[in-house]
Amino acid sequence: MAPKKFYHDDPAWSDVEPIPQDDGGPYPLAAIAYTDEYREAMSYLRAVMAKNEASQRVLALTEHIISMNPAHYTVWLYRAKTLSALSVPLSEEIAWLNPTALRHIKNYQIWHHRQTIINQLGSPKGESDFITSMLAQDSKNYHVWSYRQWLVQRFNIYTDEELAWTESMIDEDIRNNSAWNHRFFLVFGKSKDAIPSQEIIDRELDYAKSAIRKAPQNQSPWNYLRGAVRHVKLPVSTLKQFALEFADTEKPDEVFSSHALDVLADVYAEEKGMEEQARRALELLAERYDPIRKQYWNYRMGLLGEGRVV
Amino acid sequence: MPAEMRLFVDEHVRYIQSLDTRKDELEYWLTEHLRLNGLYWGLTALHLLGHGDALSRQDVIDFALSCLHDCGGFGAAPGHDAHMLYTVSGVQILATLDAFDELEKRVPDGRQKIGRYIARLQDAETGTFAGDEWGEQDTRFLYGAFNALSLLGLLHLVDVDKAVAYIESCVNFDGGYGTSPGAETHSGQVFTCVSALAIAGRLDVVERDKLAAWLSERQLKNGGLNGRPEKQEDVCYSWWVMSSLATLDKLHWIDGEKLAAFILNCQDPEHGGFSDRPGDMVDVFHTVFAVAGLGLLKYPGVLEVDPV
Ligand SMILES: [Zn+2]
Repeated sequence: MAPKKFYHDDPAWSDVEPIPQDDGGPYPLAAIAYTDEYREAMSYLRAVMAKNEASQRVLALTEHIISMNPAHYTVWLYRAKTLSALSVPLSEEIAWLNPTALRHIKNYQIWHHRQTIINQLGSPKGESDFITSMLAQDSKNYHVWSYRQWLVQRFNIYTDEELAWTESMIDEDIRNNSAWNHRFFLVFGKSKDAIPSQEIIDRELDYAKSAIRKAPQNQSPWNYLRGAVRHVKLPVSTLKQFALEFADTEKPDEVFSSHALDVLADVYAEEKGMEEQARRALELLAERYDPIRKQYWNYRMGLLGEGRVV
Repeated sequence: MPAEMRLFVDEHVRYIQSLDTRKDELEYWLTEHLRLNGLYWGLTALHLLGHGDALSRQDVIDFALSCLHDCGGFGAAPGHDAHMLYTVSGVQILATLDAFDELEKRVPDGRQKIGRYIARLQDAETGTFAGDEWGEQDTRFLYGAFNALSLLGLLHLVDVDKAVAYIESCVNFDGGYGTSPGAETHSGQVFTCVSALAIAGRLDVVERDKLAAWLSERQLKNGGLNGRPEKQEDVCYSWWVMSSLATLDKLHWIDGEKLAAFILNCQDPEHGGFSDRPGDMVDVFHTVFAVAGLGLLKYPGVLEVDPV
């Protein structure tokens, strides 16, 4: 742990009259106890904020407070204001943020701060490596992935390189739903209504299929596969042969994926004269392969007569 | 149900009452930025457990109003900047305690002031909302704005249609919603979007069956619910997922008995409170979501809950 830092005996701060916490006066619920170090630092922050001071020592002070409590959003706000008032080289701020973010991986203020700085810098250089080091600690961190999406949009990085990186994340953990979502975002997300070329569609369907063959019960590639088929407006029957690799209503003991049964139920529901097969698939799900969601599968059975699918 | 499966109401009430007396603990000041939310969570849990009077009404109102700024926004604690999240908690606390009259008495034109603060945070171009003047945007803030404004009776201060269109732009290939367009579907985010649409009376834009199917897939074999595919179960998701399912009229698609048993297993039967999953440390955040989840499941001893 770093040695404690106090300001009352620091000559660089002797001109500042600290403003102690207004703990809400007579209201008992508001009285808040702090460690001395944090309390004092905050009282100096209040003092510089009251004077609207922007200076190097304010940066140092906010850094100190953030190291004690990165979740205090007021501190980040004032730091951002100070940075822009001082025109500090923003690359220095990023250099400071990197280890700070790694220490406080769940904190979301850091990400917003980073986004503001990178946006002003106007270049994503180095960000990819930094993100990779963050994901090495928590490969499904929502803030990190959201930030990555923001980078892709802001700097138009819908590239093969980005796709290859995403693929490496899926290779590392085939159940990483965030990585699957990022892939969908890259391939299909640039414009909501545009349908990619046949070559790309085939590539994507094959990619999801090969992932499913490695882990047939993995939800992420199944969602991806069905989402892709829907997005490019293909019928669900496109997936019939593939689903039969994992389940067949005629062989109830040999089901390797409940998701395949789910697909087959939809395929058969749309196919003329196959309603009984659809019902059989849904029964297998309700009774044997996914009984915890029995009510849902029963609901789907109820839709069969109406010729509707989910 | 075995004996250890009961709900330890008295212990939970004492736990929540004790939160404010733990001021010498390190964690207390580290969570200062959540003080007003924490107060709302505690208050709600107590109400649901039928012990709404366990915290002094006047103290709670005084504290909430001491966080209110002239601009109409609330901070997390006295002296903290105003932010959407705390403003929503502030409004929710006043609504729970039926204290809008007291607000008007002490802050002339208080309701309008708060409503205008929230309305200013709407992005005129996209329709979504920022958390503060700093500009971070998230569908959480959009839901918060709708929730608080509808409690204040001031939803007309914002462009509801534009906000609804923004939510529609956040829908993903799996039928769910994330923090912004293209962001991964997440149960918490689904809750915020579905609830905002319910408040706006626009659930017609949701693909009900598809989304509810995704939500019901969150239940794992142990009865608990996760927030995203292939993630661990966590008590707070029992609330996000269940209330979304309830809003979509599909709560019966999950196994309520198994879920109730999972939630009860997350109690600390001795000192009260709930944790994220069995055996972990309890906190007020997971406590309120556990209790609210049991309320949605109509568990005896907990008041029934409005999902939005
Ligand atoms: Zn949780």
